[in-house]
Amino acid sequence: MNDAVRVESLYKTYENGVTALDGVSARFASGTFTAVMGPSGSGKSTLLQCAAGLDLPTAGRVFIGGAELTATKDTARTKFRRSRVGFVFQDYNLLPSLTVEQNVLLPLRLAGKRRPANARQILDRLGLGDRTHELPERLSGGQRQRVAVARALVTEPAVVFADEPTGALDLRSAREVLGLLRAVVHEYGRTVVMVTHDPVAAAHADAVLFLADGRLAGSMAHPSADAVAERLAHLGDLTTRAAA
Amino acid sequence: MIAIALRNLKHRPGGFVATFVSAFLGAALLMAFASLMDTGDTESLTTTAVVGGGWCLVIVAFAVTSTLSLSVRQRADQVALLRSAGATGPQLRRMIVGEAAAIALIASAAAVPVGYALGRVLLSLLQDTGQVAESVGYRFGPIALGTGFGVTLLGAVAAAYATARRTAGKAGGRPERPRLRRVGAVIFLLAGANCSVLTATLMDGKGVDAMQTAGQAGIWASIGLALLAPELLRLVTAVIGPVVRAFGGVAGELAVTGVHSRARQLAAAVMPVLIFTGVATGTVYMQGIEDRAAEGQIQPEYAQDVQTLNYVVVGMIAVFVAVMLVNTLVAATTRRRREFAQHRLAGATRGQLLGMVSLEVVLVTVAGVLGGSSASLFTIVPFGSARAGELWPSASPWQYGVIVALAVVLTAAATIQTTRRALRGPATAGVRA
Repeated sequence: MNDAVRVESLYKTYENGVTALDGVSARFASGTFTAVMGPSGSGKSTLLQCAAGLDLPTAGRVFIGGAELTATKDTARTKFRRSRVGFVFQDYNLLPSLTVEQNVLLPLRLAGKRRPANARQILDRLGLGDRTHELPERLSGGQRQRVAVARALVTEPAVVFADEPTGALDLRSAREVLGLLRAVVHEYGRTVVMVTHDPVAAAHADAVLFLADGRLAGSMAHPSADAVAERLAHLGDLTTRAAA
Repeated sequence: MIAIALRNLKHRPGGFVATFVSAFLGAALLMAFASLMDTGDTESLTTTAVVGGGWCLVIVAFAVTSTLSLSVRQRADQVALLRSAGATGPQLRRMIVGEAAAIALIASAAAVPVGYALGRVLLSLLQDTGQVAESVGYRFGPIALGTGFGVTLLGAVAAAYATARRTAGKAGGRPERPRLRRVGAVIFLLAGANCSVLTATLMDGKGVDAMQTAGQAGIWASIGLALLAPELLRLVTAVIGPVVRAFGGVAGELAVTGVHSRARQLAAAVMPVLIFTGVATGTVYMQGIEDRAAEGQIQPEYAQDVQTLNYVVVGMIAVFVAVMLVNTLVAATTRRRREFAQHRLAGATRGQLLGMVSLEVVLVTVAGVLGGSSASLFTIVPFGSARAGELWPSASPWQYGVIVALAVVLTAAATIQTTRRALRGPATAGVRA
């Protein structure tokens, strides 16, 4: 199976001396839904941002859909990213001045591409067909996140990264968004990599990758919320013991 | 809360630069004109002080209010944070007003030497023109200090209080009150029109005195039109938006969409452009008409000197308005850091965002220059009719060209430079800002 994303020995040290990634290598196969979990400060968000080309790793290589992300200049990285990667944020990051439809089509417009024939279809399928001309502020949190998912899908990227996509949502909206991400993988055949701290959210994924102190700390296939929670608690023990 | 206010000033002095600069320059100008009243009470001293100082008063009040409200709104996050930590509305108001008062005091104190020096220059100009006896000694006394400190402090506190009521009043947003704004605009425009009519009728044949009412007409009209900036901007966008869209690609499209949904924020940038163009064009051409009307009269040297004095006053006001223009634009653009970062996360390159901002600058300057030019006619047309018996001044257009070019260059440089700075660093950091 092809890898949608592959990272090789990623290191990231911030200017203040904090090491967020300490040699992470991982691959995410096409058509899979993976959750990345770990305690706060384990480097999971940094991993996602480096893999998505939003942040520059200190060392290491990133491949998206087989192509290596080598650009270090912001403009070149943006161009690489916008055609290959979709990103869903915890706080949506929709443009407040643009309508739902304009927000969804924005990445395409920025890439200089035409409006796709299936734009309407995507919005309809996400239950947003009748809200296309609303501004984001008129939508609920769950609806906004659906718009964000639609925006991430519109360029038909090799991978969609989601950073705590349910972090700001109530239980019902969270379940809807997670179901949507599952559908993105299993119905549209896309690849999703999601960072979360919530075992229930992680249980929607096909597999879970654990991270602790900037390093890989195991994985789990066909996760259940209970098993994930237990492993996480154990992970906490391990890191505390290592620190002591 | 006053303690928090002072800590804020110490911790983030950069956030208060804009307010400080406008208060400082405003106080210096006011002190310079007011010191003429300390110097003596002859008619020419009082007239210069009242006319020059009066103009400054209006412009300073407007400048301090607009920069202060921008800088407070910029910190909506901090206000929200304090609110969630349990600060009450009156406490937040005390903090914001306390900051403004502290800045106004420091700025006025710093302005004393500058005001002193400017006042000296004004007096020596008046002496050179023979309007004041050479023997009169310069005095910088209680009227200068009282006006400088008093007006700056009062203006800042009043503006801070009004802004704080809006920002800290309710946890939610601040609803716009378009009706109040439009009523204000109509009142200012009527005041301007009234001055225009007075100039053309009562002041006809009164010679140089017509300058007083004519000058005021343009200032009131500028402020009135500045209050209509959102409407003006929408109108301009409706007319030239399709062109911008057609030639600007995605950047043009984003600029035009931005104007439709963010007309209010962008209007904050139109206002100083409009006032700068209006005041500068009005006064420069009024002086031009006066020069030609005075030509061939008995005292050519005297006329020349008066002309110098007037140009100095006009120049001082123009510099002040230009500083306010840059101030406002820098503050308004810095506020958009998060919006820019969100665009970048959606895939926009820095170049595309600079393109979008440049096209917005086009819309903003067109709206501002059109509004300002219309406002200047409130001064030029009646003054020309009263002083030279001609409605359209037979003046060369190059001065107007220089003023417009200055407005365009200042607006573009301030906005684009600030945008560049706001685009530095990774976008992921920008959305948290």
